[in-house]
Amino acid sequence: MSNAAPTPDTSPQIPTFLELCAGWHKAAENIEKFNRLLTTDAKIAQTPKELIWTLNKAKLYRYAPVVPKEEQKRTPLLMVFAIMNRPHVLDLRPGHSYAEYMLRHGYDLYLLDWGAPGPEDKNITFDDYTLEYLPRVIRKLKSVSGSDEFSMLGWCLGALISTMYSALRPDDGLKNLILLTAPLDFADKTAGGFTRWSSNPAFNPDTIAEKLGNIPPEMIDNGAKMLKPIENYFGSYTMLWDNIDNPGTVEAWHAMNTWVRDIIPMAGATYKQLINDLYKENRLMEGTMKLRGELVDLKRLKANVLNVIAEADHITPPCQSERVMDLIGSQDKEVFRVRGGHIGIMAGRGAEKNTWPHIESWLAARSD
Amino acid sequence: MTKTNGDFNPFDPTGMFKGMRDANMDAWSKMMIDLVNTDAYAEATGAALNAWLTTSGPFRKVLEDSMAKTLEQLNLPSRDDVTRLAERLTNIEMRLDDLDAKLDESLRPSHSGEN
Repeated sequence: MSNAAPTPDTSPQIPTFLELCAGWHKAAENIEKFNRLLTTDAKIAQTPKELIWTLNKAKLYRYAPVVPKEEQKRTPLLMVFAIMNRPHVLDLRPGHSYAEYMLRHGYDLYLLDWGAPGPEDKNITFDDYTLEYLPRVIRKLKSVSGSDEFSMLGWCLGALISTMYSALRPDDGLKNLILLTAPLDFADKTAGGFTRWSSNPAFNPDTIAEKLGNIPPEMIDNGAKMLKPIENYFGSYTMLWDNIDNPGTVEAWHAMNTWVRDIIPMAGATYKQLINDLYKENRLMEGTMKLRGELVDLKRLKANVLNVIAEADHITPPCQSERVMDLIGSQDKEVFRVRGGHIGIMAGRGAEKNTWPHIESWLAARSD
Repeated sequence: MTKTNGDFNPFDPTGMFKGMRDANMDAWSKMMIDLVNTDAYAEATGAALNAWLTTSGPFRKVLEDSMAKTLEQLNLPSRDDVTRLAERLTNIEMRLDDLDAKLDESLRPSHSGEN
């Protein structure tokens, strides 16, 4: 008799007929669930809010406060999202919503939804967004909140508009400016796919806008997805399939996919301005950007600034957000670098433990 | 979904596929990101887009013109008519917003106090 331990059997196990049947049944169930998740919408943007202002397609919402008035911060916060997506990602799903988080911390919270431009809006430019719409939104916010001072959080192109507004209207009561993944500096023509593509002479935004009017949402969506094609067209779905028995992951994926699928066009004139004046000529950083004839001088921006940069951002590479800190006139300014991507830093799993608390604590110290 | 014990199992085809996928995903991803970040890709995309816009333009124009004529014959508004109307509505909305601003200003406590 030998005393050696028995060698584990590593040969392939032949499944029984019943195991095969159970496996196929489970696979069929998962395929049906997968298909349902891909083709249905999750309930997103559920935090109660009231519509307080509209102009054309733009809407301003005020969230219902959840803390007693005496515990609320004195300075209201306006959230300005990008113009080519819905702003619901700021209030993605109950239990994982930046809006909900800020309300719990006592902010008087407002959300600007730019809306989806129609054919009649093809001539809208950054001049209009910055100097026609945003001042009216801020006027209404001040009127409703009763506060002459306010904070503003701009994300992506919303951060670009917020920055230009803050430099053009430095005495309008803006106390704190939070920039999230702000595309401002396009000096490096090799940084990121968008810059590289738009710098190529074969790419003509004037022709695109002239022929199409507004830029179709599918074109913008596919352009963004092509920056990381395997992850966006393949990886996202395999991740769902691998985790289809994990309710938490499935719920998060479904909510995010609902937001991603809800795509909107971009006004043609804004698109031309974005590519020609910013991506190609880098006018904001060069000090030559003019809106309605007014020069956007970043030195005039004096609000407190928190600049949040996503280190793995493929849409707005970090170098596009960094140099603005040397050009603005603010005394109180901070750069906060977060590990993550363009959307993930605010809507990903780690946002609630990392990005949100930092923004909140920075803002809390400057909101009374 | 599938047991992944690292061993080859001919009775588990999804496991084989998953193993192959996981082993290659990072390489595919890097390769594609590198590809779309080349000048050649940028040029090819720009050229394809221009070609599509140029070739589809005349067809789109014929369709738009014939549609406009048809709508006119039927006494129905064309897209241009609706667009012009929407622009006028936006201008009216701006006037209303200006009035709203003046009303808010006149109702402000400090303003009332001065009166």
